[in-house]
Amino acid sequence: MKIKKFLFFLVILGNILLLSGCWSKKELTDLAIVAALGIDKNEEGRYVGTMQIINPGNVAGGLQGGGGSQGPPVSVITGTGDSIVELSRRASRKLSRRLYYAHTNLVVIGEDLAKEESISTILDPLERDAQFRSTAIIVIAQGSKASDIVKVLTAIDKIPSNKIIKTLKFTEKTWGENITVNMQDAVKMLVSPGKELAVSGFRLSGDVDKGKKMENTQETEPSSSLYAGSLAIFKNGKLTGWIDGETARGSVILLDKLNASAFGVKWEGKDEAIIYELIRQKTNVMVKMEKGKPRVSIEVQAEGNIGEASVSTDLNNPDVLLKIEKEIEKKIKKEITMALKQAKKNKSDIFGFGDALHRSNPEAWKKMKSEWNDVYFPEAKADIVVDAFIRRTGLRNIPHQVNK
Amino acid sequence: MEKAKISLYQLFVLIMLFELGSAILVPLASDAKQDAWMAILVGMFGGLFLFWINYRLFLYYPELTPPEYMQKLLGKILGTFLAFCYIILFMYSAARVLRDFGEMLLTFAYLETPLFIVNALLMLVIIYAIRKGIEVVARTGELFFFFIYFLAITGFILILFSGLIDMNNLKPILEQGISPIARVVLTQSLYFPFGEAIVFSMIFPYLTNKKKGKKIGLFAIGLSGINLAITMAINIGVLGVDLTARSQFPLLSTIQSIQVAEFLERLDVFFMISTVICIYFKVSIYFYAAVASTAVIFKIKEPSKLTYPMGMVILFMSVTIASSYAEHLKEGLKFITTYLHPFFLMVIPLLLLGIAFLKNRKGGPGGGF
Repeated sequence: MKIKKFLFFLVILGNILLLSGCWSKKELTDLAIVAALGIDKNEEGRYVGTMQIINPGNVAGGLQGGGGSQGPPVSVITGTGDSIVELSRRASRKLSRRLYYAHTNLVVIGEDLAKEESISTILDPLERDAQFRSTAIIVIAQGSKASDIVKVLTAIDKIPSNKIIKTLKFTEKTWGENITVNMQDAVKMLVSPGKELAVSGFRLSGDVDKGKKMENTQETEPSSSLYAGSLAIFKNGKLTGWIDGETARGSVILLDKLNASAFGVKWEGKDEAIIYELIRQKTNVMVKMEKGKPRVSIEVQAEGNIGEASVSTDLNNPDVLLKIEKEIEKKIKKEITMALKQAKKNKSDIFGFGDALHRSNPEAWKKMKSEWNDVYFPEAKADIVVDAFIRRTGLRNIPHQVNK
Repeated sequence: MEKAKISLYQLFVLIMLFELGSAILVPLASDAKQDAWMAILVGMFGGLFLFWINYRLFLYYPELTPPEYMQKLLGKILGTFLAFCYIILFMYSAARVLRDFGEMLLTFAYLETPLFIVNALLMLVIIYAIRKGIEVVARTGELFFFFIYFLAITGFILILFSGLIDMNNLKPILEQGISPIARVVLTQSLYFPFGEAIVFSMIFPYLTNKKKGKKIGLFAIGLSGINLAITMAINIGVLGVDLTARSQFPLLSTIQSIQVAEFLERLDVFFMISTVICIYFKVSIYFYAAVASTAVIFKIKEPSKLTYPMGMVILFMSVTIASSYAEHLKEGLKFITTYLHPFFLMVIPLLLLGIAFLKNRKGGPGGGF
């Protein structure tokens, strides 16, 4: 009996040792949680990684007036190396903790680097790593280094990487000149021969050195701030150009990613007299072969309301609304045409017409695949049909008139 | 032969868990590109046929296990030799699936833990279960089956609601014609995982209702085939052909892409739990078949005494069969399914059925159908 009890005790003791799961334990206080990763190339041709690391003590309790707001919410360290893995590991020499990438939700790539070489070399280690999430969002540092974008402190969303992601997300939902592209989407587009990569850029206004300081966030109008930039077009993994404004919005419509926006149309001789608030949009793209040449048919359906009317118009009259719809259709068509023209100029099929052809006519695609971007895509004719609907005019019907 | 009773429902559950086993882990039939789901379904129909052969064979000798009727059909020496080959095949397959388990955990979660430790933890549990008998495994299966389905359905709904599935990824259908599908079916999906159901021949004699066993077995294989085809179609719909084929564990990548309402994300644990459970059953069933066959051939009265030594062999085999995951996969999805499985899972059962038919021409099959 005694031996049995002893054995039982031994088994329990063994379990305590074996089952506590301390094989490769990592204490929370030993982790440096990386929020954003910026990648550049220096003059010597080596990669420079800038890691934005969350300062846990300075993030929490800010609103409650606790002791949080003393230091900056993030710290930044850099690492240099000939490869991404090397720079990340080498950065450990500057850090008292272990770099932890499971919460990295932003990757910033320097414009020069993206122009110089295919960004797939950067994406491979990130995609391969088990810690890194494939849902991390990618942006290009437009007109600056990636490290500058990562270093600047922001006011409302204290963690700058969150600020960048949320800015992209909400501008995509309200204005529609930008798109949020995560790593998985980016890799898919890089791989596909029938669709090129388009990613949003992010810009820095003001000075980096000022942006790094806490004072920057203590002004009502920070002297250095981050804002969403243009749309970067890629070809064979390299950055070939930027598109912005209405052209960028036209591209977003073609990509069928426009959630909402506002279009101004000319009415009764006045520019931007009536503003159309788009609330829903659907784009269908079909590519067919016609006389041995690809022909693209684009159908766009848009739904929305009147948001502003600065000239006197009878918005009670459905016929007038129909006429305004025609104007809106013209406007949308113009933006799409501009976007198409620009992409053709860059010889980069960011809209995925190649993929559409692949689906509708696999044999023709097989022949054109290798020269699609350079020969067939720029020559492809497109028929654009836009259907816009005005559903409502808001709380008022006809606009008010001064001194009527 | 131990005294165990397996109900029809338990058989159904075991076959389902077994088939899902390591097949949901790997990029199954990914050589068929966007038609992988089709290759899986066609493989499933082949698997139904293979299952039918085995069951028909069993009905000739409803009280005997495969090693016994092999001895009856082929004579003592040849029958024993063949049964011995099957024991090795079962042990090897168990080691392979155990390796799948270890590789999955090591690639994705426990990067610094040695493979041996991870495999040993699962193998110890399996040895314990098999010591207690197949009935215990079957009852555990009943319990976990609902859990697996709960996870699968929740995951499916979440993927649907996060709007990730792009049906365009599955087009164009049959781009290269039928030949790639036929090749994949004949060299992979027919045997892995569907043809592997041959191990259930060791369990048939315990069935309480032997007549209905065939129907239930075919139903289970059919349903698991449909499940696997849907899983693969979703993988391709979410990830695209290229990413699916490049992923070591496509289902993991699919689940990782889920982002619903800003907080339902990082559901990797769904994948972990379901694969660990399914793999546990697959290894257990292979291991049980190996142990029971050995006990029959060598006339060992207490098969449970074999579990520790044979379990250790499987454990060591699982670590040594391949030096890298790439080698392991190449062997599993290319070599074995091309050279080993057709012979052991199709040719021999067909041959045995032919002999049994000739021998029993007068009396007709025991079950009668």
